[in-house]
Amino acid sequence: MNYAYAVELKSVVKRYNEILAVDHVDLTINQGEIFGLLGPNGSGKSTTLKMLLGLVRPDSGSISVLGMDVQKDPVALKRLMGYVPESSRLYEFLTGIEYLDFIADVYGIQNAEKKNRINDYLKALQLEGREGDMINSYSEGMKQKIALISAFLHKPKLLILDEPLNALDPRSARIVKDFLHELKTQGVTTILSTHVLEIAQALCDRIGIMYHGKLLALGNMNELRQMSKLPDSGLEDIFLKLTGTGDIRAVVEELVK
Amino acid sequence: MNWKNVAYLIRVDRKSGRLIRGKKLTKYRENRFLAYWAYWVALAVGLAIGLAVGVVSNYILAADPSLSALFQQGTVSLFLSLPTLVLIYSLVFTMLQQIQRSGVRFSSQVPYWLPITWQEHTLASILASLLGFPLISIVFISSVIVVFSIFIGQVLAAVMTLLAIYAAAFMASATTEVFRVFQVRFIGAVYKSTGRAAVWVRFIGSLLFFLVFYIGYFYVTSGAGTITFIETVASAQNAVWFVPFVWLGMTLYYLTGEFLLQGIAFLAFSLLFIVGLFFLATSLNSRFGLYEPPAITVSRGAYAPRTGFLGRIGFSTVEAALIRKDFKAFTRRRELMTIFIAPIVIVLVPLMQSMGVTTGPAPPPFAGYLSALTTLMPASIMAMSLGNLIIGEEGQAMWRIYSSPISAGSLVKSKYFFIIFFSVLVLVVTGIFGFVFYHPSLRAILVSSFEAFFLVFALGAISLSNGIRGADFTEAPRPRMIRPSWSMINLIACLLVGIAILIPFFPYMLSAFVPSLLGFFVELYQAVIVSAIIAFALTVIFYRVALKNAKELLAKAEI
Repeated sequence: MNYAYAVELKSVVKRYNEILAVDHVDLTINQGEIFGLLGPNGSGKSTTLKMLLGLVRPDSGSISVLGMDVQKDPVALKRLMGYVPESSRLYEFLTGIEYLDFIADVYGIQNAEKKNRINDYLKALQLEGREGDMINSYSEGMKQKIALISAFLHKPKLLILDEPLNALDPRSARIVKDFLHELKTQGVTTILSTHVLEIAQALCDRIGIMYHGKLLALGNMNELRQMSKLPDSGLEDIFLKLTGTGDIRAVVEELVK
Repeated sequence: MNWKNVAYLIRVDRKSGRLIRGKKLTKYRENRFLAYWAYWVALAVGLAIGLAVGVVSNYILAADPSLSALFQQGTVSLFLSLPTLVLIYSLVFTMLQQIQRSGVRFSSQVPYWLPITWQEHTLASILASLLGFPLISIVFISSVIVVFSIFIGQVLAAVMTLLAIYAAAFMASATTEVFRVFQVRFIGAVYKSTGRAAVWVRFIGSLLFFLVFYIGYFYVTSGAGTITFIETVASAQNAVWFVPFVWLGMTLYYLTGEFLLQGIAFLAFSLLFIVGLFFLATSLNSRFGLYEPPAITVSRGAYAPRTGFLGRIGFSTVEAALIRKDFKAFTRRRELMTIFIAPIVIVLVPLMQSMGVTTGPAPPPFAGYLSALTTLMPASIMAMSLGNLIIGEEGQAMWRIYSSPISAGSLVKSKYFFIIFFSVLVLVVTGIFGFVFYHPSLRAILVSSFEAFFLVFALGAISLSNGIRGADFTEAPRPRMIRPSWSMINLIACLLVGIAILIPFFPYMLSAFVPSLLGFFVELYQAVIVSAIIAFALTVIFYRVALKNAKELLAKAEI
């Protein structure tokens, strides 16, 4: 399928009662790009990600994902996407292997392939030996690994990851980061939302910063530095300046009184 | 003991109810008086009833003063049995609450990182368990007896009874607390020792526990069983004086009978027992309160995916995966296992009651009806209950369904198959049960089996369509699965659909009482055919409604 952009949002608006969650957002994300969507709590990131998945319907505007209208054939589109939500509630009464088997069946992966892929991921993320235990006995990190594997398992073309490295041990976090880079070379687009700005800075080709439902800034690190007029700064300083939340010192001084 | 901490913890527990009451949670405001409206209503209704009963009894006694002694004796006898009755009811309801919450770990987590002692936590937990129905019923009972006692001149006895029933409720809740902590530890040890069989040990063990619990529950809360039970408690209390749970009743018995010494002795024993229970609960909590049962290992060895039976009989991989997942949910999640109990209890309770009142085999017309009832009711209720909650049971994990390539058609097909499979299974089991116990005619067996099939298919479809519309994915403080309004709508809809399907048989049902009606309207086989046509039409219509509802659910996809 040919498409100019992996993701294209045109003047998208989403309102929850009196709260304007997403306010006329225009955004394009290229194929094979790792895109970071940042913003303070309640800025509209998660709503935007859910709209890309078709989990939330926009009030106005249009969304095209992998060249398809999100609302037109959501089932076909979901086959091409992998998703890890911010707090991924799994079926805790299943074992790790049963959960992944369920996911593989839902995405229609054949038995032989399913076996190989599941075993490879379990080995890579060091879940071997615990895969037969019920998920309710897993630590948060182990649950996150299962959620990540379930997003990668069917080789999606677009990954939407909300805080993907939450609770992961350093080794697994490194594996996931390197893996996302490898996927990028294969043309897989990744959109990730995180509050850990070091991860975003190290991983993302471009970053979008949302604030009060609007896309406040968009670009690579150099472009963001120019925009914020902070030439040698890291993402944290840029983020704080752009979102107007940079008055940290005064707040801390007030707290220590 | 910091009483403020206890009060804070109880308040938090009460507030957890907001999550399941469908409140608008942004800019949330609560009226302190209205937050306790149910208790105020119970108090007002209790006062009104106490007043009404008092006025009526005064009127009766004025008309016939010879009844006075008998009346006084009966009232005191009821007062004496109240502590034990309240204890048993509170025990049942606090345990029921524990069962409902068993699937939600995070809502019952002890805030161990806060400066709160185990004593404070345990006391708050015991008192908070009484909130809701147990406390409402106690408030109601106590207000009735206090007002009523003024009319009959038994105020002192009523005040002592009032104190005793509150103490009894505390005793019951403390027992539940001990049982809860103990069973977590005990079950953990059982799982550890049973290894891979733990899932099935838990399933069968839970079913047996629920079975005994619900049979007891229905027996003491329904029909003639309640009266028999109250009479038994009143008469048997003194015979089992050595059981600590009746000591409050014994205290009242001796104090009202003016045996002061014995009364004080039993009062002291009761208080010691309550304090002992509290310290036992505290000690168990401090030892096992943060205990996590060991992980259940279901499978070991190399992973080898298979094409299952469902795949071979024509289900797509998505549908088969959903059915397998639901099968595991219903055999592993304790709050879902209770669904298998209702049909069993429905069969057993009337049987137990009928065995108590009848001698010898039932007369032939009744045998047919009882057998039909045993075949029709449990399977229908199973279809209705499963349809009601099979979507809502997904809970917060519903995002998985929303974000996966699962079409509305696959979702409805797999869920509907699950409903039909288990309902038909229940139908077969209860049908055999009805046949063995009631010896109906072959004609009665065939007709009731056919009708049960029709009902299962139609009720399954309508309940599924309502279950999708009314799905509630709230999990704390207990999984709700369906909004109460939709549960009620479904109940009424199922009742109407059931009547519509069975309507061709009404002449035959009437013919038991008016023999001249037999064969007046239609022949039996004609009634079955008409019933089948109605059931088929309703099934098709409601299956389509379920599909439409599922499409809307997946498109809206907001939990």
